[in-house]
Amino acid sequence: MSDLRPARQTEEGVIEYSGFSFLIIDQADNLNVDKVQYHNALIIDGKDIDFIRQIVKRVRSHNSPDIYLKPIFVIKGINITDPVINELIDGSIFSLDQLEFIIPEVERMLTRISDLKFTHSISFEAQMIEKVICYLYISQTDTLAPVPYVYSDINFAYPILSVNFRLSDEHTALDILAIAESEGIFDSEYYDRVYLCSNCSSGHLSYREVCPKCGSSNSQTEDIIHHFPCGYVGPLRDFTNEIDDQLDCPKCNKRLRHIGVDYDKPSVLHECKNCSHKFQDYNVKARCLSCQNDTGVETLVGREIRTFTLTKKGELAAINGFVTTSKDIDEIIGTIKFDTFKTMLKYEIERLRQTEGSSNVCAIHIINPSLVYSKIGSEVQKGLLKDLVKVIRSNIRSSDIISFQSSSTIVLSMNEIPYKIAIRILKEIIQILKRLMATAFNNMEVEFEYKVVQIDYKLSPELHMHQLTKDFA
Amino acid sequence: MDEGIIDNYVRFLQSLTVDHFIRLFWFYIFFEFIRYFAIEWFVLNLWAIRRKLNSRKFDIAREELLFENPLVSIIIPGKNEGKHLYKLIKSLNEQTYKNTEIIVVDDGSDDETPTIGRGLEKAGLIDQFIRNDTRGGKASAANLALRFTKGKFIVHLDADCSYDRDAIEKIIIPFYFDKKIGGVGGCVNVRNYNRSLVTALQTIEYFDTISIGRVVTSHLGIYRIISGAFGAFRADVVDKVRGWDIGPGLDGDITVKIKKLGYKIYFEQEAICLTSVPDTFGKLTRQRLRWDKSLIRFRVRKHRDVMFPNQSFRLENFVSFVENITYNLILNVKWYVYVLDMLINYSSVLLNIFITNILLYTVTNFLKFVIYSLYRMRTNAPMSFFIVYIPCMVFYFGFYLRIVRTIAYVQELFFKLSYKDPWNPEKTSVHAKRMGL
Repeated sequence: MSDLRPARQTEEGVIEYSGFSFLIIDQADNLNVDKVQYHNALIIDGKDIDFIRQIVKRVRSHNSPDIYLKPIFVIKGINITDPVINELIDGSIFSLDQLEFIIPEVERMLTRISDLKFTHSISFEAQMIEKVICYLYISQTDTLAPVPYVYSDINFAYPILSVNFRLSDEHTALDILAIAESEGIFDSEYYDRVYLCSNCSSGHLSYREVCPKCGSSNSQTEDIIHHFPCGYVGPLRDFTNEIDDQLDCPKCNKRLRHIGVDYDKPSVLHECKNCSHKFQDYNVKARCLSCQNDTGVETLVGREIRTFTLTKKGELAAINGFVTTSKDIDEIIGTIKFDTFKTMLKYEIERLRQTEGSSNVCAIHIINPSLVYSKIGSEVQKGLLKDLVKVIRSNIRSSDIISFQSSSTIVLSMNEIPYKIAIRILKEIIQILKRLMATAFNNMEVEFEYKVVQIDYKLSPELHMHQLTKDFA
Repeated sequence: MDEGIIDNYVRFLQSLTVDHFIRLFWFYIFFEFIRYFAIEWFVLNLWAIRRKLNSRKFDIAREELLFENPLVSIIIPGKNEGKHLYKLIKSLNEQTYKNTEIIVVDDGSDDETPTIGRGLEKAGLIDQFIRNDTRGGKASAANLALRFTKGKFIVHLDADCSYDRDAIEKIIIPFYFDKKIGGVGGCVNVRNYNRSLVTALQTIEYFDTISIGRVVTSHLGIYRIISGAFGAFRADVVDKVRGWDIGPGLDGDITVKIKKLGYKIYFEQEAICLTSVPDTFGKLTRQRLRWDKSLIRFRVRKHRDVMFPNQSFRLENFVSFVENITYNLILNVKWYVYVLDMLINYSSVLLNIFITNILLYTVTNFLKFVIYSLYRMRTNAPMSFFIVYIPCMVFYFGFYLRIVRTIAYVQELFFKLSYKDPWNPEKTSVHAKRMGL
């Protein structure tokens, strides 16, 4: 453990303590979590559980391991009952005076983070799997357990994985975990089963017994009475009279005395108040609270919720980098590997140091990758990326190079070209890409953002890359 | 020895005078020949003429039916009948008359009937599948079905039957022919006629007693049983009689109840249903004991009031009752009187009398079979198939059925065994017995 030294506030919202830098987030309007990467840990000081939830989700859902793996602590102003948030934070303190108690945990986590190696796979699934196993590794747990969660669209959350998806795409977590299991990263065992809407995959369903004819849930139920002596069969109301509580047979006028002896109730009769249809067996329908789709329960999609345990292979994959899976995407023609891109950027910086000129690095980022990839699946995902590269390639010079930083971020160089021209070209590329997406995927809006950074020979390649992607969500 | 018998028999025939012939064969002449051949044939001709004359009226009735296109509710009550349902529903879905609703009632089945029924309902092949968790008997199952029907007419079917494509249309037309008709019986033919000797004999019996016999009784206004296998009723009439009462014999019972209200009952020979009949004598005996007991239970006991002059007295009901009792109960007793008469007074020529009776009955059966075939609308079996079985009919009708009927009458008259028939659940039968129903 490091030597304990008094806490020292270095700038607003940052505390240095015992050689560690803690970023304090305490204002509702301060939701920018990018600064987290420059500090050793994050402390959320808030009494509003929604604020805490928002900050935790922003950090844990970030693309960069420098952010999503950072230790998070909460100053315990309130009792946090949200099970997922409790899973995603690393501890709580009552005040900043108690920083010393969390130092060992911070130290331990940072040590384990330093063990990890990241591969920056182009595959979205591979990225997610890598994130999960790295998180499990630093949390020193080998189990990814489902948490019954009211805020989850499928009613169960795998905290570190589900946090990456919008509510409507949470079911994709199950697909990703299935891929991981098939790759031998996880073992699993059955926990529960959920039924999801066949239209939007939401588990928020309202089950109702409805009339088989008109689908209305507005009905009344009555016992059917069978009077043994005369064989009359009818609903209870046929037997009641207006004078007393006794039951009299409308056919033979005899009084019903003893159930099982002179009458019984062999079944029930439901009568729909909407269409007056009489029936015995309801249809069971499920109304999706997300998309309002109202269908028979037989059309719902049943999915198993399983508890996943990291295998030895999974643990090694976390340390050595999760390189590939069967769902991973091979290198796409017309691109180079990201490490190669960084090396070439280094050479370009060196070249500019010696010659005058204007070169740029650019990035195109898909804002909503989890939505896009959950909707299109891994096969189409590959095709999509190929199309993106094809469009970009046809709009830049052949000497410019393209690479994937991640499945959602494409980086490219535009050497020996003025900054403004580079921006204009990139804008045009974005327009073409949007048109391409609109044609290819009718009901899905793919959102892009972009950035161009003029290469400054005084700055390192890493800093260029940081400037390029820091503003991306 | 054989030659001796033949010589003796020839001499016997040569010595027969008309008076002697009447004395020795009075039972055949007065009961069998006159009632079951001469009168029947005569009425059959009247019916054929009337049918011809009314053919235009029938066409108009059909047009009226098709124009109004009323909803017909088809109800199929039964226990453990799931295995028959698909074949039945297939024939119903082929019907020329389309505005129907099919309601299957499962009376507490303990086999796969619920699964099959729900599957048919889900597939849209039937409109409703209703289940009683505990068995209440066929009457209660049919009455439960009534709670769900919406049609102007109710057609009651047995699950082990199948129907001609135009059977539903044909059985509904008579309601438009005569507005006073409250119920129509369909013509039940045998599907498994070639399964065994027993089924072949029953087929010939059905040709005679159902196909032709009911045409005759219907024409005379004394038709008394709308078969549960295929019967149609006006829904308002069924409502008036409050549905079916406890069986066995509930189909005959509801027919009498409808007639008591003043409605006519009609037999439609062209509305054809095929059923599987018992294929062994054991099964057939059990079925016939049940059927024959119902004559005593319903005719003699429950509905004996049709004999007495009261508000609901109707001549045709009285005649129907008398005819039924005479030619079933009394005739059965008379046969034993005849046998005793011959034993006591003509014991020396018993063999000759026996041979002559056999010949008389066989010739009559052949004649009836050939002549009546001219009046049958259609059959599902080649007539030639049955020729070899005709000689057996004298033993089937004359001995087997008569003995079974005698046993049934004795069992019901003296021991009321129909109330112990497992065909109906005991919990209801005890009440029926107590109330004399």
